[in-house]
Amino acid sequence: MKIDRRNFLTLGGSLVAGGVVGTTLSPLPWKLMDDAAIWTQNWSWTPVPTDGKVSYENTVCTLCPGRCGISVRKVASRAIKIEGRKDFPVNKGGICILGLSGLQLLYGPTRVKTPLMKTGNGTFKTISWDEAIESVSAKLNELRSSGKSDSVAFLSDSDQGVTAGLIKRFLKAYGSPNFISEATFKDAYKLALKKMQGIDAEANFDIDNADYVLSFGSGIIEGWESPVRMIKANSALKTRKAKLCQIEPRLSMTAAKADKWLPVVPGTEKELALALIHVILKKSLYNKDFVARNTVGLDKLTQLTDSFSPEKVSGITGIKPEDIMALAADFARASHPIAICGKGQGNTPESMTQIMAVHTLNTLVGNINKKGGVFTVSLPDYVTWDQPEMDETGTTGNSKDRIDGAGKGQYKDTMSLAHRLAGIVNAQGKNPVEALFVSGSNPLYTFTDSIAVKKAFEKIPFIVSFSSFMDETAKMASIILPNHTNLERFEDVIVSTEAGKSAIGLAKPVVDPRFDTKPTGDALILIAKALEGSVAEAFSWESFEACLEETLGDKWEELKENGFLENADSAIASNNKIDFSALTDNGLAAIEGDTANFPLTLIPYDSLRLAHMNIGSPPFLIKTVEDTVLKGNDILVEINPKTAGKLNLSEGKYAKLKTPKGTVNVKVHLFEGIMPGVIAMARGLGHTAYDDYLAGKGVNFNELIGPVEDPASGLDISWGIRANLTKA
Amino acid sequence: MKENHSNDKANKFGMVIDLDKCTGCGACMVACMSENNVPFKKDESKKLDSITWMHLYRLTNKKPFPDTEVCYLPRPCMHCEGAHGHPPCVSVCPATATDYDKKTGIVSQIYTRCFGCRYCMGACPYHARYFNWWDPVWPEGMENYLSPNVSPRMRGVVEKCSLCFHRYQLAMDKAYHEGRKELEEHEYQSSCTQACPAGAITFGDLNNPHHQVHKMVKPSKHGGKPTATNAFRLLERLGTNPKIYYLSSKEWVRRLGDNYLPEEKTGEIGNHQPKGHH
Amino acid sequence: MSASDDNVKDVPSDNHEEGHGNGSIGFVILFFVVGLIGSLLTGWVLFPKLLYSQKEQPIDFNHQIHMDAVSDGCESCHFFREDGSFSGVPTIAQCIECHEEAQTEDPNEIKLVQEYIANGEEVPWLVYARQPDCVFFSHAAHKEMDCTTCHGDIGHSENLKTYEENRLTGYSRDIWGHNIGGFKKNTWDRMKMDDCAECHERETGSKGPCFQCHK
Repeated sequence: MKIDRRNFLTLGGSLVAGGVVGTTLSPLPWKLMDDAAIWTQNWSWTPVPTDGKVSYENTVCTLCPGRCGISVRKVASRAIKIEGRKDFPVNKGGICILGLSGLQLLYGPTRVKTPLMKTGNGTFKTISWDEAIESVSAKLNELRSSGKSDSVAFLSDSDQGVTAGLIKRFLKAYGSPNFISEATFKDAYKLALKKMQGIDAEANFDIDNADYVLSFGSGIIEGWESPVRMIKANSALKTRKAKLCQIEPRLSMTAAKADKWLPVVPGTEKELALALIHVILKKSLYNKDFVARNTVGLDKLTQLTDSFSPEKVSGITGIKPEDIMALAADFARASHPIAICGKGQGNTPESMTQIMAVHTLNTLVGNINKKGGVFTVSLPDYVTWDQPEMDETGTTGNSKDRIDGAGKGQYKDTMSLAHRLAGIVNAQGKNPVEALFVSGSNPLYTFTDSIAVKKAFEKIPFIVSFSSFMDETAKMASIILPNHTNLERFEDVIVSTEAGKSAIGLAKPVVDPRFDTKPTGDALILIAKALEGSVAEAFSWESFEACLEETLGDKWEELKENGFLENADSAIASNNKIDFSALTDNGLAAIEGDTANFPLTLIPYDSLRLAHMNIGSPPFLIKTVEDTVLKGNDILVEINPKTAGKLNLSEGKYAKLKTPKGTVNVKVHLFEGIMPGVIAMARGLGHTAYDDYLAGKGVNFNELIGPVEDPASGLDISWGIRANLTKA
Repeated sequence: MKENHSNDKANKFGMVIDLDKCTGCGACMVACMSENNVPFKKDESKKLDSITWMHLYRLTNKKPFPDTEVCYLPRPCMHCEGAHGHPPCVSVCPATATDYDKKTGIVSQIYTRCFGCRYCMGACPYHARYFNWWDPVWPEGMENYLSPNVSPRMRGVVEKCSLCFHRYQLAMDKAYHEGRKELEEHEYQSSCTQACPAGAITFGDLNNPHHQVHKMVKPSKHGGKPTATNAFRLLERLGTNPKIYYLSSKEWVRRLGDNYLPEEKTGEIGNHQPKGHH
Repeated sequence: MSASDDNVKDVPSDNHEEGHGNGSIGFVILFFVVGLIGSLLTGWVLFPKLLYSQKEQPIDFNHQIHMDAVSDGCESCHFFREDGSFSGVPTIAQCIECHEEAQTEDPNEIKLVQEYIANGEEVPWLVYARQPDCVFFSHAAHKEMDCTTCHGDIGHSENLKTYEENRLTGYSRDIWGHNIGGFKKNTWDRMKMDDCAECHERETGSKGPCFQCHK
């Protein structure tokens, strides 16, 4: 057959037709189609989490001072979820947003994985623990032998527990009085109790059982005290139909959920408190029996508050006289009323006048150490080691004055004045701090006037950070001795529970350490041993865990097993009378800036959705931040539409925010819930460290304000600053 | 058809959210993200493409200072039943990637089945559905915390709240293992319910008169409209028959739950079933 | 250029050009048949060979020996945990319980002890029944059934068969079944969704909602 074009096509066609029919009758297309469908579902870069045996491990969350019991769900060796622990006396099953995000910190990219040392060009190099301990102890030896042991300072987030105990012991044996811890409103309250009643006690607020809560700006559902416990207490208030009256210049969530919100001119809360005392005394609404038995100085109090008539205070606070009178009556007539203070989350101390006025209110209604009132409790103290044997250097060093001026003269009862650190270092003359150790604290971010703090840190020749994360302060360190994260280490905590009770809790490792890190307690013991002599002798423990075990003694096994140990009612049975005459007035709490150049008042606001203390917000938190707080990398500042109208500012537009401390670009958010003349900014943004999910977003509020010292305590009570907002 | 052969005891899982107790703290949002392997991006401030199965809406009464009021409203997927098990999203899905389970009352979303046409997102009146515009990326190390109980999603598919259905699956596993076929109320609770520090969320079977959720809202037999005081559902008027109920003592909040005409009384909407439903 | 050259190129199967007649119908039929047979052979014989790669298990596990040694059948090693979840393939921790040291001279056991138990490493078993991540299978819900219904009589096998991995999907050949046409004789021959649905429909009256088996 001759193959011509026509034949060729015919035969080729029949071959193809046969192929098509055969292929159709074969599994090839159908199977391929099925496999292709499955193939499209295989995304090799989408992780497939491995399965395994599920287990739950209990521990205590130490990411904030709230101290909730948590239960970590694990699949084989991976921790996959954090949940609230139901039987834990603080949170009873609830959990906050930060605690829930804990695994993002454990597994996140901002961990410091090994000890690091700063090199000449400002970058870090990895070093071994042996090298790290050697470098640190060499520096400490050098300072000690040249008689400068008191030039070493230790900054710690807390002064409670075994780790803080080890730090204090270390400084003592080494020869430095400079243990500096950060103060919150609780420390200020403690100081007020000391001044009014001469007792060493912690205040514990039994919101859980109160029927009328008078809150001077405390964000009881926004992280004040122990966040979960307080949110639960707030829900209980609703169920019991108890009343909450919130006094603050901005409609915070606590104000929004309160039964009554009284907007007050910022900084005049204590005048309002004094006016309430005035009314209660004038109208004889106080608990006469209680006052007669438990107090002295009522005449002085009457004298002091005499001039704070509702009419006069109305002009200062912006609250109507009749509202002040009604408020005083409602408070005094309730059966379990409680007054509280500590603005926002209470991380900043309040003035002595404010706190004493609040405590006086509680005293006048007789609600001290009673259900639904303020309990003054002594916390369990199990750190009872023998004093270390000291050599001459140690004794000399400890006899020197503290660099921050706390503990003597007018501030003899104040433990630490951490905010003074920057001022002392930056002052003209010789820098008194040769070496600074930072544990659990991130002063470069959390201290007011953070730009000055940075300048000060640049001048300190040797900084050691114990941070688990590469935060702002760690970045400035000469050496980082990374701590285990909270889920990898033991840590003892003291927790307050309802009705003045307290408990000891023990955080314990729930996963193996991921990196070459060590608990700060272990690092300290190693450094002490390397220093030899009396310092080494003061640290005879094998390890931090051994030290914990010895310190907790017979409590250790039960704590390891149960995670907490409930104490009996630990309210102080002190016969000391409450002395009203301790309450004095220092006048209006001044803030920086003149009203001509800075016509507005800038205040911060706290939210549980933004961590603003020593832990930076993990990605989950930032994700929940509203776009009226953060948009792209811009922070929004809240302003009343009336004020904005006068300043020609409109929603979402850029503006320049200027305070005596600095100028930043912000966006404007109009909010009807803020007093005219006041502007508010969220705390917790403006990080320069951590990861791309946090760094570079918004502005750090602390850059815009400076410290304001309370004359009575010396503590930094800065709650805001004068400001100007202009169209950009 | 023997459709109801084994469905002799159908559940209707749902939630009651007490807005008076809700503090807007955000724990429910993160409890959800953490339980369900929800990813995150470097910039999450563009809320239109930010995936939050549980979302907190901020409501205000729009009154000037100082009469302003604010209330947060947590919004998971409403798991609408519609008139007869036909939620708006299920009706439009061309891929059968979402369906309504009459045994549990849960609206599913099968990621591997979804091809990303996003009709369901258009159909959902609650903005409860989210599209994966990008592949999820976890920073190195963070994939360690992913849960094997919920499949991580890929670019190009829609996702939404499942009422933590995997918790139902796991609870049923335990029940079967112990020779039971029914769950106790506490055995199946969503992650947000469990986490909420305010105890504002109550979870359970709306069909079961012994369950808290039923007692709290007393749903009507037909259409599920709540009969308890202060209880309401979002967009009752649309007849979507959602299984998420809200409680608020504030009338302005209840009115924001629907498109009220000025003359309509609060709570009146949805009393008469729209025509065409049988 | 000749037709046969073309044919050789197009069809890789046997091909002889025999006819010289003028009746082109014959040729058409012939070519059709050649195409038909070629593609049938490709689809039924060649395709599965190309589609699957052969992989050997790290250890040739003998189920029968273990079955004789244990008292509780399959559940001795493949057990339910207290929470009702199914343990699946045993972990090395389970193997250690009996094999901390080799009990025999079997090279497979020696390999297990030396390579895995000594190093505390998991054995990288290739799982014949592995399903995609989106599949949720509750063993507890199917507790009443025999293991063999889905898994076959693997419990009495003395060797592990070669693991055939689908090059396109990455899953075992056992999911689709050994028969490339997808035909099955026994209930355990296939583990596709349709096979689940078939049984569900028969036993419960409906295929069930999507979430019943998906996550």
